[in-house]
Amino acid sequence: MGRKVYLDSAATTYVSSEVMAEMLPCFNAIYGNSNSVHSYGRDALAIVDRARDRIAHAINAEKANEIYFTSGGTEADNWAIKGLAYANKDKGKHIITSVIEHHAVLDACKELENEGYEVTYVPVDKTGLVNIAEIIHAIRKDTTVISIMAVNNEVGTIQNIKTIAKLAHDYGIIFHTDAVQAMGAIKLDVKDMEIDAMTISGHKIYGPKGVGCLYVKNGIKIQNLVVGGSQERGKRGGTLNVPAIAGFGKAAEIAVRDMSINQQKIRAEREYFLKNLKEKVPYIQINGHPFQKINGIANISFEMVDKESLLMLLDMEGVAVSTGSACTSNVVEESYVLKAMNVESEFLNSAIRFSFGKNISKSDIDYVVEAIVKSVEKLRSFSALTKAGRR
Amino acid sequence: MYSKRIMERFSNPNYAGGIRGGDATGRIELGGEVVKIYISVDESGEITTARFKACGSVCTIVACDIACELIEGKTLADALALSSNDILAEMEEIPERKHLSLQIAQDAVKLAVEDYYEKKAKENKKK
Repeated sequence: MGRKVYLDSAATTYVSSEVMAEMLPCFNAIYGNSNSVHSYGRDALAIVDRARDRIAHAINAEKANEIYFTSGGTEADNWAIKGLAYANKDKGKHIITSVIEHHAVLDACKELENEGYEVTYVPVDKTGLVNIAEIIHAIRKDTTVISIMAVNNEVGTIQNIKTIAKLAHDYGIIFHTDAVQAMGAIKLDVKDMEIDAMTISGHKIYGPKGVGCLYVKNGIKIQNLVVGGSQERGKRGGTLNVPAIAGFGKAAEIAVRDMSINQQKIRAEREYFLKNLKEKVPYIQINGHPFQKINGIANISFEMVDKESLLMLLDMEGVAVSTGSACTSNVVEESYVLKAMNVESEFLNSAIRFSFGKNISKSDIDYVVEAIVKSVEKLRSFSALTKAGRR
Repeated sequence: MYSKRIMERFSNPNYAGGIRGGDATGRIELGGEVVKIYISVDESGEITTARFKACGSVCTIVACDIACELIEGKTLADALALSSNDILAEMEEIPERKHLSLQIAQDAVKLAVEDYYEKKAKENKKK
């Protein structure tokens, strides 16, 4: 078996050993239903409570009971959009979001539109930053929710969340942010950033898949999305996934504990990667914001090359990358994010997302750069597109 | 996502490249993909060489490679009659949404043949 390098940490991460150690006892030793009143149940509840405390602490929530566990980021985003819109419909039926949100937000908005709600999708500039003036322009008397992602999953641009949250509050509007890609990459402080509701997911921070949470500040009205039980203070029915929650709690704690050291390392590796790549591969373009972006994502266009072909050749070399969000890329289509950023078509069809995890090494990067050089040269050798001065 | 057969052909296409001094070219741009098919034709109207260049997906590259294989050694009339299904038969199964690749390859072949006829007609006019 040849060498393999994983550069798709924005799609998902492995589960770290510390997290796994936290989870394992919950499968067969502490297996009670956390809603049961007997000792088995109370033991499981203690695990859940500890995880809730850890997450609340990681994002500086006022109270642990502001954390509601869900089946992942998608459910939390769906719930935030619909739950906040439904619960506050007396005030109005208008929502503001951006064109580059994850489909978990966009598709929930589309469903609300079918139900008679109005949604304004604000544009972004060429770096992927949401235009705040457009948000101000879009605010109406009947606007109830503004939802803007903290970090974009395709290009890594960091939005000015605190400013947007303050703006929302000036108009008495609830502010939600999808912070799935932001957790562990940037500091998240819901009090300082004035966030009313925030989505986080376990599997992007070396925790398990199938678990996430929605932070909802106490006092903010939200209607249930999942019904059928008294769990999560009656707000989200369903037996809690105790092992996953235990792992998620630990992962969130570690994400904050190790953020500085991880980010330094990832930044150094990314810079090393980009420096080598620029030296060895001509005609590339780095998409996204030049500096207001997370360290872990590099979105790069390779001119005269098709992204799917490049992805597959790299896969044959053992290098795992993606052409955008993993949630959309089973269908290799044009990226709606890059399109919204007005990236020209020759760069749009050749954009690859490299996302770096904390275990990446310099020798991995060397191997990846060589694989890219080999693959890009091969595809360009018979590309139907040519560059002046290139034969 | 793709069969082993498709991936093998994709990683080692036999007909990739251009033809220096070729007789005709068919170029098509569709769905963000660009394909060129080059042909050399002898006096009897037989395609002696067929090559392609592509900036396209795995399926498009494989479809072009197959199209070149199918038309090389055939007459221009045979090439015009090449259908998506002929190409698909060689690829076996591909995802439904990838059928555009077959169309691209088929159309590029047609455009190359038409280009050849147009060039011939111009030459004859000059004569």
